[in-house]
Amino acid sequence: MGIFKDIKNLLAGLGITSKHLTRHAITLQYPEEKMEMPERSRGIVVLLSDKETGKLNCTACELCARACPTGAIMIKQHRDENKKKVLDAFVIDNTLCCFCGLCEESCNFDAIKMATKYEFSTTTKEDLIWDVKKLQEMGLDVPYTPKPKKKPKPKPKPKPKTEGDAKPAADAKPKADKPAEVKAEAKPVEKKEETATPEAPKQAEGEADSKPKTTEVEEEAKADPAQSETKTEPEDGPKKGEENE
Amino acid sequence: MIIAAGELYPIFEWAKELLTGLGLPEVWQHLIIYGALAAILFGTLSVFALFLVWWERKIAAHIQQRFGPMRVGWHGWYQTIMDAVKLLQKEDIRVAIRDKAVFFWAPVLCFVAAFLAYVVMPFGEGLIVADLNIGILYIMAVTTFTVIALLMAGWGSHNKYALLGGMRSAAQVVSYEVPMAVSLLAIVVFTGSLSMQDIVNSQSGYIWNWFIFKVPFGPIAFITYTIAAVAEANRVPFDIPEAESELVAGYNVEYSGMKFAMFFLAEFINLFTVSAIATTVFFGGWNGPLLPSWVWFLLKTFGIVLLMMLFRWTYPRLRVDQLMKFAWKFLVPVTFANLILAGIIKYYGWYW
Repeated sequence: MGIFKDIKNLLAGLGITSKHLTRHAITLQYPEEKMEMPERSRGIVVLLSDKETGKLNCTACELCARACPTGAIMIKQHRDENKKKVLDAFVIDNTLCCFCGLCEESCNFDAIKMATKYEFSTTTKEDLIWDVKKLQEMGLDVPYTPKPKKKPKPKPKPKPKTEGDAKPAADAKPKADKPAEVKAEAKPVEKKEETATPEAPKQAEGEADSKPKTTEVEEEAKADPAQSETKTEPEDGPKKGEENE
Repeated sequence: MIIAAGELYPIFEWAKELLTGLGLPEVWQHLIIYGALAAILFGTLSVFALFLVWWERKIAAHIQQRFGPMRVGWHGWYQTIMDAVKLLQKEDIRVAIRDKAVFFWAPVLCFVAAFLAYVVMPFGEGLIVADLNIGILYIMAVTTFTVIALLMAGWGSHNKYALLGGMRSAAQVVSYEVPMAVSLLAIVVFTGSLSMQDIVNSQSGYIWNWFIFKVPFGPIAFITYTIAAVAEANRVPFDIPEAESELVAGYNVEYSGMKFAMFFLAEFINLFTVSAIATTVFFGGWNGPLLPSWVWFLLKTFGIVLLMMLFRWTYPRLRVDQLMKFAWKFLVPVTFANLILAGIIKYYGWYW
């Protein structure tokens, strides 16, 4: 009787394949047909501009540049007469971009977005470094729903709070900007203390034996740079907070 | 007489008259007519083989919910033509240590053997090159040439995979030749003739005159024949001579360019051959209403080809020992029992 069972199984197999034969193929004929990407899919990063004025939504706050884990975003800005930030350059290096979407999440002004576009391969690496013009051009036809503006409301009421808000942002400043500043600020401090150290032994000489005390001072001098670094941060913080306002 | 009667008869009569009008001796007339027939057969069957390659790819793709070839023409219809053109242009790579004569003649023999069966194939009413009175025996004898060709390819290649593929192929085809011949013999016992024309003519009339419906042993003979035929054509699930996962490509590993194409086309012509035999013997050949006889023949044959393609994309490959066991322990007894049954039924006249 086993043979009838086997034949039944063989016929069942044939039935399944012939059933699939009549079904339509699910392949997408890629260059001709393209998949409708969901709105929140993470494609290429673009800059959004105001639909009415045609100007960029970007306020050059550099939040996205700070949020970027690979440092793919480079922003240059300066302040005009009214102390308002003006965007000088906004460059995204797509060779570095890891499509995490943190820049979009960090932006409070609907300025940067991961578009649904995904076709941007080029023949050279240089072509993947996009400037403002290209980014804006790519973002022109990208539909977006403005984020609910909850954050600006509490802003005008307590001014110190905004500073408090700004502080963590300042702490989280990207490595690209900060180390350079810290070094630039830290080095003069060290130099000052170095210049101070020759004076210190002279003062110490008057009080007691020079050798052990110089070592102490040297230790202090060694410890100082670390202190100076830690000191620079709080100094730095309020400055940045002011800038953000 | 070459063409007994049928649709193309007037054309050949006209050709013969033309040739006699030219004052050629009869030997030349025959040579020219047979040459023309050979050219027509070769052309048609090459086109069929190319079409079958494309069709197989399409069916495989659609079973797996893909499209298959889509780029070259409408649904890639001339993909295989371009493939053949590409293979013609390719360099003929030859192994340095090879058996030169054997390596060269293996694809040629394979290709020629694939075409030989069509000498006695009734494509339509009267569309038969030569109605030999040993028709089916001739086909059985001639299609076995393929084994020699595959064995030659395996031997001449100086390659362990190729040799193994050739040996497996020889073992398999020789084993499955027996059930195939015996299941056809059951029908031959019934018709009392080996001639292909006689077999088709004895099924004329209505659909229940086809041998698969006419006699109780017809379906069994058809099933055993189909299984054996799939094995003869070296196709999945009996494709151990060229089992890709075991033998790289089997007997044709070392072949490239047009030599490979000859093996490849011969394989698909063999597929068409076994389907055509099944059509002729079990499904009434070119018998059918309304449509011209050759259309009926092609429809039925391509239907059986479709069935074999479905087999290929449904069933997994058998192991070598399972294959042999299945042939000798199951198919041979069943077909012989069927033959005895056919004899009994014929003797007592238990049929309509």
